[in-house]
Amino acid sequence: MQAAELLGNYVERFGADHPERGRWILKTGWEIQDLRYRVFPEKQLMPADRYLARMMMDSMLKPLQKPESSVIVSVFTPCELMQEVGLNPYNVECFSSYISASYAERSCLQQAENNGISETLCSYHKTFIGAAEKGLLPKPRCVVYTNLTCDANLVTFRHLAQLYDVPSFAIDVPMQQNQENVEYVEGQLRDLAAFLEKCTGKTIDEEKLKDRLRRSKRTLENYEKFQQLRADRYVPSDLVTPMFAGLANNVLLGTREQEIYTEKLLRDVKNTRPASGKRIYWMHTIPFWSDAVKDALSLRTDAQIVGCEMAEFTKSDFDPEKPYEAMARMMVYNSINGSALRRIQRGIENAKRARADGAVWFCHWGCKHTLGGAQLAKKKFEEQGIPLLILDGDGCDRSHGGEGQTSTRLGAFLEMIQSREEDLSAGSRLA
Amino acid sequence: MNGNKTYYVCKYTPIELLAAFGAECANLNSMPEGFDLADQIAHPNLCGFGKALLEAVMQGQVKELILVNCCDTIRSVYDVLEDSGRLDFLYMIDALHCDSVCSRERMAAQLKGLARAYSEYSGREFDEQRFRAAFVPPEREKGPHLSVMGARMGAQLFQLVQEAMPLPVENDSCVHNRSVGELPPPEEPSVSLGTRTDGAGETGGPLERTGWADSFAFGKLMEWYAGELLGQIPCMRMTDNTGRKRLYNDPTLRGIIYHTVKFCDFYSFEYAELKDHANLPLLKIESDYTVQSSGQLLTRLEAFAESIAPEQNTEKEKKMGKGYFAGIDSGSTSTDVVILDKDRNMVTGIILPTGAGAAMGAERALEEALREAGLQREDIDAMVTTGYGRGAIQDGDKSITEITCHARGAHFLDPEVRTVVDIGGQDSKVIRLDENGAVVNFVMNDKCAAGTGRFLEMMARTMEMDLDQMSVTGLTYDEDITISSMCTVFAESEVVSLIAQNKATDDIVHGLNKAVASKTASLAKRVRGEDKYMMTGGVSKNQGLVKTLEEKLGTKLVISDKAQLCGALGAALFAADMVV
Repeated sequence: MQAAELLGNYVERFGADHPERGRWILKTGWEIQDLRYRVFPEKQLMPADRYLARMMMDSMLKPLQKPESSVIVSVFTPCELMQEVGLNPYNVECFSSYISASYAERSCLQQAENNGISETLCSYHKTFIGAAEKGLLPKPRCVVYTNLTCDANLVTFRHLAQLYDVPSFAIDVPMQQNQENVEYVEGQLRDLAAFLEKCTGKTIDEEKLKDRLRRSKRTLENYEKFQQLRADRYVPSDLVTPMFAGLANNVLLGTREQEIYTEKLLRDVKNTRPASGKRIYWMHTIPFWSDAVKDALSLRTDAQIVGCEMAEFTKSDFDPEKPYEAMARMMVYNSINGSALRRIQRGIENAKRARADGAVWFCHWGCKHTLGGAQLAKKKFEEQGIPLLILDGDGCDRSHGGEGQTSTRLGAFLEMIQSREEDLSAGSRLA
Repeated sequence: MNGNKTYYVCKYTPIELLAAFGAECANLNSMPEGFDLADQIAHPNLCGFGKALLEAVMQGQVKELILVNCCDTIRSVYDVLEDSGRLDFLYMIDALHCDSVCSRERMAAQLKGLARAYSEYSGREFDEQRFRAAFVPPEREKGPHLSVMGARMGAQLFQLVQEAMPLPVENDSCVHNRSVGELPPPEEPSVSLGTRTDGAGETGGPLERTGWADSFAFGKLMEWYAGELLGQIPCMRMTDNTGRKRLYNDPTLRGIIYHTVKFCDFYSFEYAELKDHANLPLLKIESDYTVQSSGQLLTRLEAFAESIAPEQNTEKEKKMGKGYFAGIDSGSTSTDVVILDKDRNMVTGIILPTGAGAAMGAERALEEALREAGLQREDIDAMVTTGYGRGAIQDGDKSITEITCHARGAHFLDPEVRTVVDIGGQDSKVIRLDENGAVVNFVMNDKCAAGTGRFLEMMARTMEMDLDQMSVTGLTYDEDITISSMCTVFAESEVVSLIAQNKATDDIVHGLNKAVASKTASLAKRVRGEDKYMMTGGVSKNQGLVKTLEEKLGTKLVISDKAQLCGALGAALFAADMVV
């Protein structure tokens, strides 16, 4: 049995009747993992990505170490305001991934389902709810969320705020992209600032907030530049790094640490070798636990993931001198807000920029937005010359596996890209 | 469905506004036979209602459709339909999620946008009189009644519910609790309708209504209307949904049928709360929005109806003859018959395989029981049928669901039992009963075979053993294997791969028992099961499973030697009640 599996067993066994004990085991296990990242990093990864692994582990440990300074947020919630009042934001997708990586997700999922929560709810959300109900997650200072795209956000966070009996704030984001809607959201973000000030007793200095948004802008610009540069390079990648990059570009956007990460990326990419192997752009989250996906795409030279949608939902085209408007704009113009066509279009742009040979549209269990747009995405990507595999699975819950099927589908897709390339090059030789 | 109608799906749809343009609005609520066309253009794991919408449009039944950004599924449906080009008019309203002043302004802008788009499409102008006339106060049941709440319930299923229930049923699910119309629009501001061109009277002839779209009065009217729309009893997509309490605080409400749609997750959150706080009988059902799924819910609905009006089960209808009573439990795997004498002693109990037909299986089992008891058919004063095949058996005097019968039978066998766990061939259920043996609450597994007797049967076949062998395998084990897949098909492939890895048979069987026990324990938790627990049904003979389930529940299970006859026994007891 692996160490992580053992950790999950212990959390389950000892945490069943004593939540504090379960929490302590989880925290200690993660601290050991944090140490492991420092002492024995994954040497095949670039130094920047090793730094990212440590940074993410640190940010996940904070709510366990200092719950009173933590805030639970939904994905797509701008976190700069929280950082300004000294709160550590963490979201469902991050935390549940770590729970799953620690093999502790099963009992959390079961807990939520026992309580009547639908089996078809997104498993990131269900794991998180179960962990909260089991007492594995300590009480945060407050909860901040948005309805932006993900339905589960609306119900999960309201439920969590009631469960913990902490104040909550919801940001209503309309789905159409126009200035009126940006102003509507901007007004709510100003109310959010007041809410956070009241929760923490701290004051938000607008000048400092501008600084933070400038940093967010620089960070996103760096990341965009990195994705451009990696188009001609082979950047070693496992399954968690693209996910980490995505999650960090949400909860840690605006921090100096995240900016440093992107600076390191720009430095390290220069030291990589020229591009080789098949290049896959990944839409939605990545099932990092799946051996079938690992075997096909993790740290391989013949095929690898060259970008993940999760890291590129927001663009850097905002004005940090108007910080509230900037954050509102990032939400309203988020590529996942509104019509699925916007998301698909952005995916195609990103895939082209990273010179992807193909894309995977990962139909994560319970994500209706992704499921609904699957066939449309296939049509649009392929119209643009990018073969797309619709892959059903689960980013978090192993029981929705079907590893044999995943392996066959992914393997066949990679073979198909290979033969397509061979046909194309034969065609060009003939021409 | 009618291609000339303007269909809508959400209560926040401004149907009065559409009526002002002469549109005939209808709630698209029919359940299809299947999702063949929808699955081709979307994904099977979308919510059933979303797929029903796609199916209706792709079949050409709908030409005008107004959607609201209710959820991710509906937004996806809009994207797919827009790309399909199959509709003459398709519009998505970006309804806000709260009822603040700002939200109303944004909503009013949405209403104006729709008015302009529909006017342009239809070539018609806004008619204020039609708008006002469209406000009709909704009618509600005033006497004692039951209510369907939760996710939207399709027309066919609602009809089934109405037919099964002993009281009138109000449909308060999703779109159906629309309350716009309770107040008429204010007289002021009125809308300037422009000038007449034909000199006709106020009610006749065409009017040229120009300039309404940008008029101040129309804007004010839409602001008021936006408030009416957003101020309804909130649905679960609204940020603040505390107003939903109005639905279940009605003093004339006698029970709730809580409905969820597979792959629609909003309402399970309300159910999770309601099940702990509602002081009313509560039944949870889930459909996938197909006609077929409705039929499968009938047992639950009938059992709920029986628990609301238990007196119907004990009506005296028959005269005492020779004093023998029979109960037949027609299950998917076996048909069981119990015959009681007038002192309610069991004269005989028979278990036979059901075979191909429920009716024939029942006849055979009854003949066998009579033969064993040395009785004739006419010696039986009353006979009650139960189980899946109960409706197919013509011979019985009454049919009662297996849920009510199992509770009755279990209570008879041990009056201290408060929770019955029954793992049957095609479903498993947990029933909570009171000190009199009446059903307080129950829950059944979903359509999926995971956690049922059939699951174990399939796994036994994969492992090339029979059920008797499986029953004693895995009682002791070395490695604590977890079968993670819940899907029977995937679990089977997991077992095959464990066999390939040379894992010990005991360990694999223990893993399978754990999977079924977890599912069952989860059901028990949902109904707040309490001691004593009794396990009934054929699977109660499986020692390995019983042991694992006892560990999961943290208590001992009472297993009677008549465990498999429990349903038939309950039915026979109800038959005895029928005789004066």
